[in-house]
Amino acid sequence: MVQDNKDLRNIGISAHIDAGKTTLTERILYYTQRIHKVHEVKGKDGVGATMDSMALERERGITISSAATYCRWKGYRINIIDTPGHVDFTIEVERALRVLDGSVLVLCAVGGVQSQSFTVDRQMSRYKVPRLAFINKCDRVGANPNRVADQLRRKLSHNAVLMQIPVGLEGYLSGLIDLVSMKAFYFQGDYGENVVIDEIPHHLLEEAVAKREILLDAASVFSDELMEAVFEDKVTEPLIEEAVRKGTLMRQLTPVFMGSAYKNLGVQALLDGVTKYLPSPLDVENVALDLDKEGTPVSLSPEPGMPFVALAFKLEVTPYGQLTYLRVYQGSIRKGDDIYNTRSRKKVKVGRLVRMHANEMEDIQEAFAGDILALFGVDCFSGDTFTDSKVNYAMSSMLVPDPVISLALKPKDNKAGAQMAKALGRFVKEDPTFRSFVDPESGETIISGMGELHLEIYVERMKREFEAEVETGMPQVAYREAVSQRADFNYIHKKQTGGAGQYGRVEGFIEPSEKGAFEFVNLIKGGAIPTEYIPAVEKGFQSCLEKGLVLGFPVLGMKVTIVDGQYHPVDSSELAFRQAAVGAFRQAYLHAGPAILEPIMKVSVECPSDFQGSVMGSISQRRGMIMSSAEDGVFTTVDAEVPLAEMFGYATTLRSLTQGKAEFTMEFSRYARVPDGIGEELKKKHAEKTRGGKK
Amino acid sequence: MIKEFIQRSALRILEGSSEKGLGRGNLGVLVARAGVGKTACLIHIAFDTIFRDGKVVHVSLQDGPDKISSYYNVILSELLKVFQVRDDRETRSLVEKNRMILAYLNQSFDLRRLKKNLKNLSEKADFQPNALVVDGLDFSKTEAETFEVFKNLAREYGTEIWFSALSHRHIADASGSGIPYPCNRVENFFNVVLELEPANTGIRMKVLKNHTKEVRPEDAVLLDPSTFLTMG
Repeated sequence: MVQDNKDLRNIGISAHIDAGKTTLTERILYYTQRIHKVHEVKGKDGVGATMDSMALERERGITISSAATYCRWKGYRINIIDTPGHVDFTIEVERALRVLDGSVLVLCAVGGVQSQSFTVDRQMSRYKVPRLAFINKCDRVGANPNRVADQLRRKLSHNAVLMQIPVGLEGYLSGLIDLVSMKAFYFQGDYGENVVIDEIPHHLLEEAVAKREILLDAASVFSDELMEAVFEDKVTEPLIEEAVRKGTLMRQLTPVFMGSAYKNLGVQALLDGVTKYLPSPLDVENVALDLDKEGTPVSLSPEPGMPFVALAFKLEVTPYGQLTYLRVYQGSIRKGDDIYNTRSRKKVKVGRLVRMHANEMEDIQEAFAGDILALFGVDCFSGDTFTDSKVNYAMSSMLVPDPVISLALKPKDNKAGAQMAKALGRFVKEDPTFRSFVDPESGETIISGMGELHLEIYVERMKREFEAEVETGMPQVAYREAVSQRADFNYIHKKQTGGAGQYGRVEGFIEPSEKGAFEFVNLIKGGAIPTEYIPAVEKGFQSCLEKGLVLGFPVLGMKVTIVDGQYHPVDSSELAFRQAAVGAFRQAYLHAGPAILEPIMKVSVECPSDFQGSVMGSISQRRGMIMSSAEDGVFTTVDAEVPLAEMFGYATTLRSLTQGKAEFTMEFSRYARVPDGIGEELKKKHAEKTRGGKK
Repeated sequence: MIKEFIQRSALRILEGSSEKGLGRGNLGVLVARAGVGKTACLIHIAFDTIFRDGKVVHVSLQDGPDKISSYYNVILSELLKVFQVRDDRETRSLVEKNRMILAYLNQSFDLRRLKKNLKNLSEKADFQPNALVVDGLDFSKTEAETFEVFKNLAREYGTEIWFSALSHRHIADASGSGIPYPCNRVENFFNVVLELEPANTGIRMKVLKNHTKEVRPEDAVLLDPSTFLTMG
């Protein structure tokens, strides 16, 4: 059986934290009969909302992992991914948007367009996701949906158009007027499950007519038929819906719905909006990269019979093993099929196919292009592409921001050490923004991620889920050393301890390399050092680069030239010349003006333009050099180069400076010499540490 | 290299005036038809300022910072080639430290924002420009009041401001002194007006206005199209 995915909607629900998206999702699941009882976030019943699947999330009242869930509404199938709202977990939002075809932007009727709304909205724009807006909490004191719709237009540059107006507001909110059908909707019963349709109350008729005019004006831009119908006064509901759908799919119109999820008001109308105005998988063009043709982009077709292509967009650990969330982009998948991971080139047998509903699952036999499903027992990374081996495609890589903060971890005991390693292996697979490595210089385990809270959550998860007690330390910057001038060497390595001796002399100079990499030049003539020992000399110098003599950091960009030397027919050996090179390096290095280099990061801060000054100030304070500032609409992007050592804690600073409305990315740019004062400070600290180590 | 650049800079054409150039608090404009090299010439002017120990703000109303910055890199590479400089690190670092790009994309430009941005640069980043180069302003749609504000801005910051203006083949309007449309509408605001036109062996830069100095037909110079250095 081939399903018609015209009736499928893959949607995300994104919002600022506390805008009420988890409650909204919970109500959607209730009305679509996926759950039969409603729980609240931070609920007194101790159960918590169904989409908050992790204990930690329940405790904090926030959603960390995106749990996918499936439901049906009036003949339509809807996959919902509940996305987190906190800025530290934006990769979750980014991933959700990568696999979704449409989204609902939830806004608070009191708070309006809040800090996180900017970030989430920009992310949706980046992935070209059409969206609806839902103005929630219209029952709260101070609720003003008109103001919020205006903010959508002004602050987020949306062509926002109201599809409804409220009947009453704040404590008096009792229903909604649908501006398409021009009817009043009331939501009755214990959980608002009975939708009663009535005439528009007399006192709201004038406002409803005026707002409908605005809706028709906005929608008719996308439909000549509607425009004609408006002139001839022959407007029909399907004409309006078709025009609004067209504008929404083009991302040039944002239909605005409203209500109160908590008071069970307006959610069914929003679901109608999702099915009417958001795209089906057939409305969206998806592109993969053909790995056999040097990554040439190829369009994927939802037609049945095409080769299978799917993206693993999320991994989760469950008590039954690794759960892999897949979005099918082309073809179909059946239980028992063999599928191939195009990254690892490994074949995997599909044992169990499930549709997820938060923590619960439903076994299915097959899935088609557009479907979101989960597999059990498949070893892969988040972001891997699976095919049926007929094609060798990769879905375009997801934008993974580089980690901005690192922490050193120390397990409290051996058992904790083993558990920590297990946990880290798991987290790295689950979350591409979380990295872990053992620093070969300090031997410490370093974790890095998108913010302090991001790392804190993982440290807590280590404790709770893996019983790994760890201590966290301070982050460390990877400094380097480099010579800044020429220094000569002439070193004899001579050792006579009975038996065969060691003898080798090397003469030459070290200097900075123009190429910025290690260079070795042999100018010896007449066999002062026999040719067979020259590689040993080179290796000897190269081995010294691993640890400079100033701070013990690796040495970059040094050129070694050897001009003369001497050997002994009996005592010379490769080892002797290698040792001679080490001695020569030690002799010359400190005379070659060794400097300490620090990593300089290319930092890009995106913020509402009003915060440009604060952002520039924060960069200057961090020894940063601002390169440019670009304004686009209400946003400004400030590009700068900043030493990494100054960037720790920047996410937190930026958040507080800009009310959380700015975000930044950074990537390594180059190494540059540290200012003298800071260099001296580092040397002092290094000396203290070395002395401390020797005691 | 810097000394040689200054000797061959296109702006030497203004040396005969009382100001020996555009001068602080003044506005200057490069006018040319499409494709003659207005942006490249503005960048040459920016290099002239930087190599004379000054700082420049490059205001772009069309292109983003990446494109502008690569434009600078291309012209700088040409200059380094001409002056046979092998190690370019010092020069590139000098340019990066003394140039700031302010881009206003998708019609985001407004003078209040520019003023605010200059204030932020001065107060928050300690960047006080000696010159502004403004590229992409549509002179045919810009009112005189806007140039009044620019003039005040130049005085307030003690900076000179250079603009590029697009002239049109099909509009032959010109002022009595030969300043073409659209600059003729606002020529009173400008102390210096230079015209660029393609010539057989390069780009000809003609002086149409140079402060109060009388302009003669021979006040022109031939420029190399890739560096805008004077030729010959």
